[in-house]
Amino acid sequence: MKEQDAVVYVIDDDALIRDGIQSLIRSIGLQAVALGSAAEFMQAKRIDAPSCLVLDVRMPGQSGLELQRQLNSAGIYIPIIFITGHADIPMTVQAMKDGAVEFLTKPVRSQELLDAVQKAIERDREQRKERAELNAIRRRFKSLTPRETEVLNLVVAGLLNKQIADQLGTSEVTVKTHRARVMEKTGADSLAHLVRMTEKLRTSLQK
Amino acid sequence: MELARTSRRKLSAILRYGSAVGFVAAALCLSLALRASFGNPAWFFFPAAVIATTWIGGRVAGGVAVLLSTLAVQYYFIPPVGFRINEHDLPYFLVFIVCEVLANWIISWRKEAEDAIREARDLLEVRVAERTAELKDANEALRNQMDEQRRTQEALQLARSELARVVRITTIGETTASIAHEVNQPLAAVVANADACVAWLSLNEPNLAEARAAADRAVQGATRASEVIARIRSMINKKPPERAPIQLNPVIEETCILAASQAEKNSVAIFTELDPNLPCVTADRIQLQQVLLNLVINGIDAMAGVTDRPRELRIRTRVQDSHDVLVSVEDTGIGVNAESMSRLFEPFFTTRAQGVGMGLPISRSIIEAHGGRLWAESILGRGSIFQFVLQSSEAGQG
Repeated sequence: MKEQDAVVYVIDDDALIRDGIQSLIRSIGLQAVALGSAAEFMQAKRIDAPSCLVLDVRMPGQSGLELQRQLNSAGIYIPIIFITGHADIPMTVQAMKDGAVEFLTKPVRSQELLDAVQKAIERDREQRKERAELNAIRRRFKSLTPRETEVLNLVVAGLLNKQIADQLGTSEVTVKTHRARVMEKTGADSLAHLVRMTEKLRTSLQK
Repeated sequence: MELARTSRRKLSAILRYGSAVGFVAAALCLSLALRASFGNPAWFFFPAAVIATTWIGGRVAGGVAVLLSTLAVQYYFIPPVGFRINEHDLPYFLVFIVCEVLANWIISWRKEAEDAIREARDLLEVRVAERTAELKDANEALRNQMDEQRRTQEALQLARSELARVVRITTIGETTASIAHEVNQPLAAVVANADACVAWLSLNEPNLAEARAAADRAVQGATRASEVIARIRSMINKKPPERAPIQLNPVIEETCILAASQAEKNSVAIFTELDPNLPCVTADRIQLQQVLLNLVINGIDAMAGVTDRPRELRIRTRVQDSHDVLVSVEDTGIGVNAESMSRLFEPFFTTRAQGVGMGLPISRSIIEAHGGRLWAESILGRGSIFQFVLQSSEAGQG
């Protein structure tokens, strides 16, 4: 599957600024969508591609920081570059804590902005890849039967086939068969690979 | 005055009695000298001496003259010489005495009457002069008082307009961040668009259409920045109030721009519902802008603590009673309680920590100076509405 072209969403209530920034971003060959408010962004159809937000902090209605919080709580992870006329330290700290890529003050230096955009898109690309991988692992792990999952957990815990068979009250041969099915279904080419995938899945669940 | 009169009296005592002696002596000398050629001139000279003495010296000096001349006549001119008298000369002598006494009496009577008149006239003149002086003083005092009052009035006027300016600047001060933002915003637009323009031109195949669009936007941004600065300058400027027919809607739109960043900072959405057929009002544009800015900033502040409902500020204009213009500024803020409501327009009454408490009183005085009314209504916990009415220019002329 070929990856879609990256998209940058520019959200600023000032038409001249958002058009200017949008134009600047398009000039380096990225797609850019200009929007006038946080609400417009929430309603807009989002393209499934690596993307980021260039977001004005101060806007009538919903502020940029409020949108960031809303997106976070909705589980929408999209890197955000904030731009603002006047940034105080607490505001900046909060925004960075909540996962902002960059906090730029207006007037924005174009190179800084474009670097930040590249960085944000790169980050989103990685995150998307990560998420895709994770989704694939999850999908594969879901196809395991309950018995196979039990075997998997014990294998990953480092038990030998014999010990597993003891614990589950079956024969060593049956455990071997289950184990082979697990390796096949998860696409693991070694025990180490299987352990890595399981860990990844567990960490993501803990999050 | 009294002293002068006394010294004059002393002087005139010498003069009076001296004149009695002098005139009688002169009459005696002349009569003696001319007796040979004029028969007996004593009959004329002595009465003349009495008349002259009485005229100059008054009744008493005249009496002295009568006595002296009687003695002189009796001694020198009624034979025989000496203080004896022939019997047949006695009647003449008595007639002479009576004539002299009469002359003395009549002349002194005339003289006194004349003196009384003169004195009365002098007194009148003095009185008139005194009254004139008094009136002049009173006039002067009155004029000073009027000058004083006019100066006070001018000072008051000056103080009032100075205060209005201070409050305007304070209002502006409260929105300094707002203004900085207001200037910075278009500059940011200029920078972004100029950068974009350069970027489009720097491509291997320059995209002129995009570059042009970006350059156009940069120009727009620069124009907007200069407009903002001009507007702020006109607000801060110390200009005397000048009234002209103005459209309220553009003033409201400008106010919204001035307050925009304050609104953004507080996440307040400003909506306007402006009647496009609104007639002009005759007013001072800057003062009205001050009133509007004040009401809008107040409204935004009132919503700072609101979290359970949208923070919305609505500015409406409409025609009322066919010739009045009604402007309302409505917020969804915390509202005003009844106690504060009654004091809302009192000077120095404020509910804000940094408030001066002059915004609303000055706003009201500005509207009232324009012949209008400004009032407030509020529901606690729901919001407030401030409204003012001004006569349209056409109604004002008619």
